[in-house]
Amino acid sequence: MAKAKKTFAEAIEQLERIVAQVESGQVSLEESIEKYVEGIGLIKQCQAILNSAEKKIQLLAKGEDGQLAPAGEFDQLDQPEPQEQ
Amino acid sequence: MGEDFALFDPDKARGPRPGPDVGKDVTAELVGQAGDPRSDTTGLPTPPLSVSALLARIKGALADAFPGRVSVVGEISNFKRHGSGHLYFRLKDAQASIDVAMFRSFADRLPFSPSDGLEVVIDGRVDVYDVRGQLQLYAEALTPKGTGALELAFRQLKEKLQAEGLFDAARKKPVARYPRGIGVVTSPTGAAIRDVARTLGRRWPGARVFLVPVLVQGEGAAGQIAQAVAMLDASADGLGIDTLIVARGGGSLEDLWAFNEEAVARAVFAARTPVISGIGHEVDVTICDLVADVRAATPTAAAELAVPNAEEVGAMVAQLGQRLRRSAGQAVRQGGSDLQSVRRSAVFRDPVARLRTQTQRADELGYRLRASVRERLSIGRGRFSFAAAALAALHPARLAERARAALAELAGRGRWALGGRTKRAGDELAELAGRLAAAHPRHRLALLRQQAQGLARQLEAMSYRSVLRRGFSVTRALGGGILRSAGEAAGGMRVSTELADGQFTSVVEPVRGAARKDAGKDGRDEGGLFD
Repeated sequence: MAKAKKTFAEAIEQLERIVAQVESGQVSLEESIEKYVEGIGLIKQCQAILNSAEKKIQLLAKGEDGQLAPAGEFDQLDQPEPQEQ
Repeated sequence: MGEDFALFDPDKARGPRPGPDVGKDVTAELVGQAGDPRSDTTGLPTPPLSVSALLARIKGALADAFPGRVSVVGEISNFKRHGSGHLYFRLKDAQASIDVAMFRSFADRLPFSPSDGLEVVIDGRVDVYDVRGQLQLYAEALTPKGTGALELAFRQLKEKLQAEGLFDAARKKPVARYPRGIGVVTSPTGAAIRDVARTLGRRWPGARVFLVPVLVQGEGAAGQIAQAVAMLDASADGLGIDTLIVARGGGSLEDLWAFNEEAVARAVFAARTPVISGIGHEVDVTICDLVADVRAATPTAAAELAVPNAEEVGAMVAQLGQRLRRSAGQAVRQGGSDLQSVRRSAVFRDPVARLRTQTQRADELGYRLRASVRERLSIGRGRFSFAAAALAALHPARLAERARAALAELAGRGRWALGGRTKRAGDELAELAGRLAAAHPRHRLALLRQQAQGLARQLEAMSYRSVLRRGFSVTRALGGGILRSAGEAAGGMRVSTELADGQFTSVVEPVRGAARKDAGKDGRDEGGLFD
């Protein structure tokens, strides 16, 4: 994952911190404005994640190397029963 | 012979068997007559049976009595699991017991571990183990009495794993609040995956969902489930998977049995990724549920626990946004109002005011400083004046003044004695006046001196006046001094004579003889009068 892109958890955490700081009134006016801008940016990121939708389930199966490997998308309607090993 | 004994094929015990070292034809004996000649009711003597023959007969009789499987209930004792995998124990009731052997092929199917004291129902065959003549019950199935084999197995495994700490609450990991990806272990068919997928998609569609399809019951299921969990856990970091779900729809204890197997329990315990277990229905609790970090009643519940509700989270984010806008806006407004206050303040309206105040203050301080210095000076001067006055009091002029006053007092009292004393007083006064004059050669002092001298003369005059009134007189040479001796008077000399009330002048007639000689003596004698 790109470092610049935050996970939702990270974004929310930072947003909560910023709001607490600005609300505390202990930051200067200049900082308040800076934090406001940063906070708005984080809110936009969160909303983007919230509105995104991963539609398909990703199938994984044991590959030749013994590790899990992607095996296509999962469509419930046409799955065979898994075989005994 | 090449044939195995009844150990493996009791059915074959039906027919007669030849003993290993029998010469006679035993068949006839077995088919025909009964055993012991001593107890033979027919009274006919019978030859003794060989051991083998005896046993063969017994086996036959046994086979007749128990042709197929028999079901026996009893308590296990003297249980022993052989290294070979075969089980050997005694099955007993209050009065009797019988040896039981359960061979590995049957024993391995047992889900639980038999042990002493366990009341069981054994399905098997009875036979005699020829070599030792031992009656045996060969168990093919063994179930606990009063409870199912599976229930017992479940209880036993649960106790074992609990003792090892696999269920400890302290070891349960917290589930990620906002997972990026979810790994699911379940059957690709069936209700479980449907429910999980639907629920995840509804609540938190932003997360990626991965499925590792497995058998969820039957042979090999436990192994597949355990392996799937282990592999997902290993790939979790790479795939961005934060949480695992192990799910299965409802079923009987047998159906769910795979999730009670030790292999699955250990795989779930070992996973570093948090595992949510949702097996069967609310009432179904499997070992997998107990080991998992979170137990859900159903697959749907498992999915609900795995992700938050995006709608609720969205509302929370919106609220954070409102708080941010409000407080930032507040900060800006406050800043603006502060600015206004500053602009309206006195300093901005009349910046010079402060300067004026300071100037005035400086003036005031300067004034006070000067006043203070003046005061100090005047105090100083006052002290100085006082000191000067004190000093002036000691001034010789003053001292002379006091001396004059003292003299005047003395003159007033009139205690001066005549003659020598008078002279002495006069001399002293003159000396005093002279000293005063020497100390302070001033015009006033000269005056005082004169006065002193005058006073002295006055005193002098006053002091012998009383004597003069008695008739004495004082003769002086016109040049000056008092004549004390007749010898001092020369003929023709002009002299003045002082009497009590005045004086006159006369010329001396030439003096003869004795006056000269006595002058000195008389002078002295008369001086004595004056003493």
